[in-house]
Amino acid sequence: MHENIFVESLPDLISAEEYADHPDGRLIRLRIDCDDDGVRILGDALRPAELEALLRELGGGPTEQMLCG
Amino acid sequence: MTVIPLPLWQPALLGTALPDGRVRCELCPHECVLAPGESGRCAVRRNDGGVLRTAAGSPAVAHLDAIERKPFYHAWPGRKVLTVAGPGCSFRCNYCLNYRLSQFGRDPAVPWTGSAAEPAAIVARADRERAAIGLSYSEPSLAVELTLELADRAAPHDLPILWKSNGFLTAAGADLVAPVLAAVNIDVKAATDAAHRRLTGAPLGPVLDTVRRLRAAGVWVEISTPLIPGISDRESDLRAIAGRLAEIDQTMPWHLLRFTPEYRMLRQDPTAPESLRRAREIGREAGLRFVYVERALGPEGRNTRCPGCDRELIARGLWETLSVTLAGGACPHCRASIPGRW
Ligand code: SF4
Repeated sequence: MHENIFVESLPDLISAEEYADHPDGRLIRLRIDCDDDGVRILGDALRPAELEALLRELGGGPTEQMLCG
Repeated sequence: MTVIPLPLWQPALLGTALPDGRVRCELCPHECVLAPGESGRCAVRRNDGGVLRTAAGSPAVAHLDAIERKPFYHAWPGRKVLTVAGPGCSFRCNYCLNYRLSQFGRDPAVPWTGSAAEPAAIVARADRERAAIGLSYSEPSLAVELTLELADRAAPHDLPILWKSNGFLTAAGADLVAPVLAAVNIDVKAATDAAHRRLTGAPLGPVLDTVRRLRAAGVWVEISTPLIPGISDRESDLRAIAGRLAEIDQTMPWHLLRFTPEYRMLRQDPTAPESLRRAREIGREAGLRFVYVERALGPEGRNTRCPGCDRELIARGLWETLSVTLAGGACPHCRASIPGRW
């Protein structure tokens, strides 16, 4: 089963000014970094479930997520 | 081989043994009556051979974050909070962003991820960081035993204890924690009992009772309301919620939260910024003095203005306080009192 890990913080890739331009929430933004350790994908989405599905499809290690509240 | 951790069940408070081996749990208004071996609706309290036990004293996380993220805007601005959370919740909200933690036991896909708390280590870490101690992310009221133990250890270090809670407590539950809670942010998620029940599986009345009860006991209370399109964002609903809060206290801060489609509510759209703006107006029209929107309206949604002279008193960035211009908890310009814990 795909593993999800709770982390203290992750950077935002979507700003609040963009919300009004995407009323249906169909915005996903990705930043892909490669180094000697491998590939790290940072994602931000107005619909987190779609981002998570995408990351699961891509495979690899666990998905880190922040908690709300 | 994968080792799946199991919950550690510790003795729980507020259980009344019944003559036939059953136990009644009196922590939340579900008031489950449990046969031996049976777990309550929260799935983290159970009858273990006639004794009520809890698994909620086993945090899955201990994260250091900003007090503004809980959110608290009128309590110790700029302070960090060491937030611990065990699995479990007394509600079953279908939009919960933290469902992987909160819906343990209700959703078979959610694994157990807690491990026994080490209160001394939690307090020591909070003291090093001069952070408040928070229970949040899942439902902290299920962890009353851990809350009391942390409070006992934190008292000599003068570290406040905070909750971000659904407020679904019996009077006995609220009275148990009121003496040790410094502040709580309580969700008021709907305008009526019926709507609240549809959204959470529980009625609204006890939540408002908890707001009143904790405030009367001297706990600092802020309120959060998610605006779920088509469910809790209608003007009539927001007017009703704002009216009820204003009846309690017009100076109680009200946080309007943007809904994000998640978990089992994937069809709805996210809350439009315009709805949040309109909701803020509704709150102000109802007489609420401090109505906040964390992100969608930019800094003007987050900053505190004096209700007397309208000058800006507290400027906030995203999840941080940038400046505080208060003199002894009052506006330095017109001397209007700004309620909170400063
Ligand atoms: S906390 Fe509430 S849901 Fe859980 S066992 Fe007690 S009464 Fe039932």
